[in-house]
Amino acid sequence: MTDIRENWIFAEKSINKINSATFQLITKMKSISEIPVTVVLLESQADSFENEIKQYGPDKILTVKDDELDKADDVSVASALSGLIDKFGTPISFIFAATTFGRSVAPRLQAKLLTGLTADCLDLSFEDDLLVQTKPSYGDNIMCEIVIPDFKPQMATVRPNIFKAEKVFDDTTKIVEINDLNWDKDANIQITTHVLPAKTDENLATADRIVALGRGGKQDLNNANELANKINATVGVTRPLTDMDEFDQSQQIGQSGETVAPDLLINLGVSGSVQFTAGIENANTIVSVNTDKHAPIFKQSDYCFNGSSEDFLKALNKVL
Amino acid sequence: MKIVVGLKQVPETTNVKINEKTKNIDRRGVSGVINKYDRNALQTALDIRDVVGGTVIAMSMGPNDFAVSLQEALSLGADEAVLLSDRAFGGADTLATGYVLAEAIKKIGGVDLVIMGQQSVDADTGQMGPIVAEMLGISQVTYADEIQPKSDNELRIKRYDDNIEQEIIAKTPLMLTTTGNAGKPEYVNVVEIKNSFEKPLTTWTSKDMPVDSNRLGQSGSPTVVRRIMSPEPKERAGKMLSTDATKAAEELAGILHEENLLAEED
Repeated sequence: MTDIRENWIFAEKSINKINSATFQLITKMKSISEIPVTVVLLESQADSFENEIKQYGPDKILTVKDDELDKADDVSVASALSGLIDKFGTPISFIFAATTFGRSVAPRLQAKLLTGLTADCLDLSFEDDLLVQTKPSYGDNIMCEIVIPDFKPQMATVRPNIFKAEKVFDDTTKIVEINDLNWDKDANIQITTHVLPAKTDENLATADRIVALGRGGKQDLNNANELANKINATVGVTRPLTDMDEFDQSQQIGQSGETVAPDLLINLGVSGSVQFTAGIENANTIVSVNTDKHAPIFKQSDYCFNGSSEDFLKALNKVL
Repeated sequence: MKIVVGLKQVPETTNVKINEKTKNIDRRGVSGVINKYDRNALQTALDIRDVVGGTVIAMSMGPNDFAVSLQEALSLGADEAVLLSDRAFGGADTLATGYVLAEAIKKIGGVDLVIMGQQSVDADTGQMGPIVAEMLGISQVTYADEIQPKSDNELRIKRYDDNIEQEIIAKTPLMLTTTGNAGKPEYVNVVEIKNSFEKPLTTWTSKDMPVDSNRLGQSGSPTVVRRIMSPEPKERAGKMLSTDATKAAEELAGILHEENLLAEED
């Protein structure tokens, strides 16, 4: 198979939109490499997500128009991606978002191509054509630097919301439409339901403002909700609070929960374990309230209040 | 149904540090346990077997002391166990590990269902299920939350594709990976522990399977770990607000307005 000097990014779709992690990956890959960036998009005949993707300035978009691939299972998608490589050549790298879908399809493709894959990367860089991948292990207690020196494509899944997406204002993206791709449909898997549940919490991962509660702030839920309403924020929690009836796992911030990147994060009674702070590094401004003046969270914060979260919330709700 | 469950033995705690001298992960005094998601995988297998009948075979690849976890799987209700242990398997990354597991599953033959945890808590890759499924040429459903047998060769599965709720009907042969919500693990009882020593626990080496030695261990691993490091959290300024709550709230409100942090975007 021929090698091509391109870095590929898989465009991941949620229902009726492109996952913002895809845009973050385009911006990141453009910033760390001179090698052209190609986005691989699988969509139905009626869709035109390429128009949205090109605002982030990839060099090329390979758009596979196929109604059957639009909401396909892992096996079918891996087969289609392998078919694209057969058709166009082996890229230098092939990057996916570390979402449920990305983390299921990428290793399937890896085993087809017999190459290396690093899962859930927090950082990427290049040394010439070598992709240097930084990945946490042991629940974010250890960081590993991993390379794939002798195989292509060098594959990685990258945790969403680690990088910022930036729109560009040139219109040089080349769009290549493919209507005749061969791939194997998985007849054993039948997806009978594919819906956003009726009860949709505001999405923490994309929230502009977040009020986060930890063990020291859980009794202040009412005041925290009032603040969240006033400043139009989403409420998040640390892992221990997901055991309480009032909260569920979708509200959890941190290593085993959501990585967040809000403009403003207000932490109430959050001590600041590594598991939590791993998920907040990309917040723009962090404010923390804690009764313990040595709480580790203060070192990760821009502004700190050492005192009771109840007093602080009452006062803040009055002035805002 | 013939069901294989992949189990990994992991350190009891992930709170490990790097040894400054050796630059390796310091695991001294940390004992091994079954990876928590693999307990869900095992219980899912046992629950399915108890409804449709069949055999549950626990499988692990690792050094000889991983037999402890397989013995535990037998005492939890697995019927047989296979340990894949050979110096030649050492240093394997996900691809080389998946190759050995897939070859062992082929050797068992006639396997309808393979179940693994969604990821291990030490390496956190989550790659093993899809890799083995591809090497076996079978379908996959990852991150399964609820699994129910629909017939002798079909399962009904609920899962979340991030926030999208999915229901899937999947035919065997199939690879399933389980979240912490699937198959609530049960406790071991003393009688089962006693019975477990009567059950077969076999060790296979590279000589027991028709494997290509170039695809084993380090030489079969495309990825190279160049360096391990302790994470360095970026520290921030940590400016203390007034100790008086009212004054502090006023200060913060001023900052939020000044930095335009309360403005609505598009």
